[in-house]
Amino acid sequence: MIYLDNAATSFPKPPSVIEAQIRCMQESGGNAGRGSHALAMAAAETIFECRTVAANFFGLDSPEQVVFTPNTTVALNMALKGLLRQGDHVLLSDMEHNAVFRPIWKMANEGRITYDVFPTFPQRKNRSAEDICGAIRARIRSNTRLLVCAHASNLCSSVLPLREIGALCAQKGLLFVVDAAQSAGHIPINMKEIGIDALCVPGHKGLLGSQGSGLLLLRKGLFLDTLMEGGNGVDSLEGEMTEESPERYEVGTLPTPAIAGLCEGIRCVSRMGIETIASHECALNHYLQERLLRMRGIHVYVPNHIGSVLLFNVRGFSADTVGRWLGERGVCVRSGYHCSALGHKTLKTPNGGAVRVSPGIWNTTNDMDGLLEALSSLICRGF
Amino acid sequence: MRNDSEKNECIAVIGSMTQAMNAQSVLARAAIRTEIVKADSANNGRGCAYALSYDCNQDGNLRRVLQIGGIRVRSHQRRRK
Repeated sequence: MIYLDNAATSFPKPPSVIEAQIRCMQESGGNAGRGSHALAMAAAETIFECRTVAANFFGLDSPEQVVFTPNTTVALNMALKGLLRQGDHVLLSDMEHNAVFRPIWKMANEGRITYDVFPTFPQRKNRSAEDICGAIRARIRSNTRLLVCAHASNLCSSVLPLREIGALCAQKGLLFVVDAAQSAGHIPINMKEIGIDALCVPGHKGLLGSQGSGLLLLRKGLFLDTLMEGGNGVDSLEGEMTEESPERYEVGTLPTPAIAGLCEGIRCVSRMGIETIASHECALNHYLQERLLRMRGIHVYVPNHIGSVLLFNVRGFSADTVGRWLGERGVCVRSGYHCSALGHKTLKTPNGGAVRVSPGIWNTTNDMDGLLEALSSLICRGF
Repeated sequence: MRNDSEKNECIAVIGSMTQAMNAQSVLARAAIRTEIVKADSANNGRGCAYALSYDCNQDGNLRRVLQIGGIRVRSHQRRRK
């Protein structure tokens, strides 16, 4: 099997991540924050350790700024619905995943907020930060309160200039929420330096943890309305959720084994080096793109951005036909719309979307050759 | 004969588990040893909370380090060991 769908979830996981989860289930099987016996404390220490490691990794001062979520989508919902108020105007980019677009669309549809989409010009060869910031500035209104954007697209390797956007948000007094689903573990992110208010991160993609883990990282002092309420092990006699992060935002039992795995995953990424991972993935997609562009009938979207994600189509075949063909030959890619209506509209993909390839740190050029071989056989067969 | 600090332990009620662990790590950096314990729910009007148990001889140091670290203490208590 050739796994090239790391943008969906990274695979395989490092053995040490799996071991950390097993060890947690065997030795730290209590429920953190629900007692003070040895097993509850062991679980609490596992969780606190991950908060500390995550805080350091993303440039935060305190573990209390790290909130665990099941995934990026929940983190984004918590951030957006926790920060936005009636009458607010929101800006989002034209490459957003539905995890951003759908909560905003729903709130707008209910008459609670309004929004505008700013262009990011992914097809432009010499796109500059000022191109994007200019587009943002032109859409700021008196009631614009928040800007949300994906750091890196889940469709292609277009990456937004977060520092410049963060500086603009700071200048204009806008809250800055970032979807780092495709950039965490691939691009260094220091929240304080960039000026991010809320960073939403999956544990199971670039951070090499398991599914069921994610992070909502909050600027110190940022206070969100709660999306959910329930038991969190503190102030149990109060009807109101505690005001203090992170327990304010974490309800019910946390997935301690997944958090143990995430902690080790972050450590693995740190040991390997984010730049090493990114340049490896970029080199693989560069290798692939060069060869795809030589093949008849292949269209590669935004070839000017080469990074961890590559999107293409094959003339005469729907994206899902290509995806199915490759899957039947043991090559795992994702075809269709990739939960990004906005992104596909911006990239002008045809009906049916496109095929996405996202190699990871464990892939090699042999894997890319396997994909190319399978594609060639499809094109030759002319199905 | 055991003195008062040997019969009683000092407790600083902090709040959530995360806050208690954060406070513990701040104190550990100042070489003040603490143990995380569950605060007595009967004494804590809001219900469940976590606290740090420590040597009462360190009371002054602990209060100072937590204040410098910006860590809020809900209450200070003493309880029998």
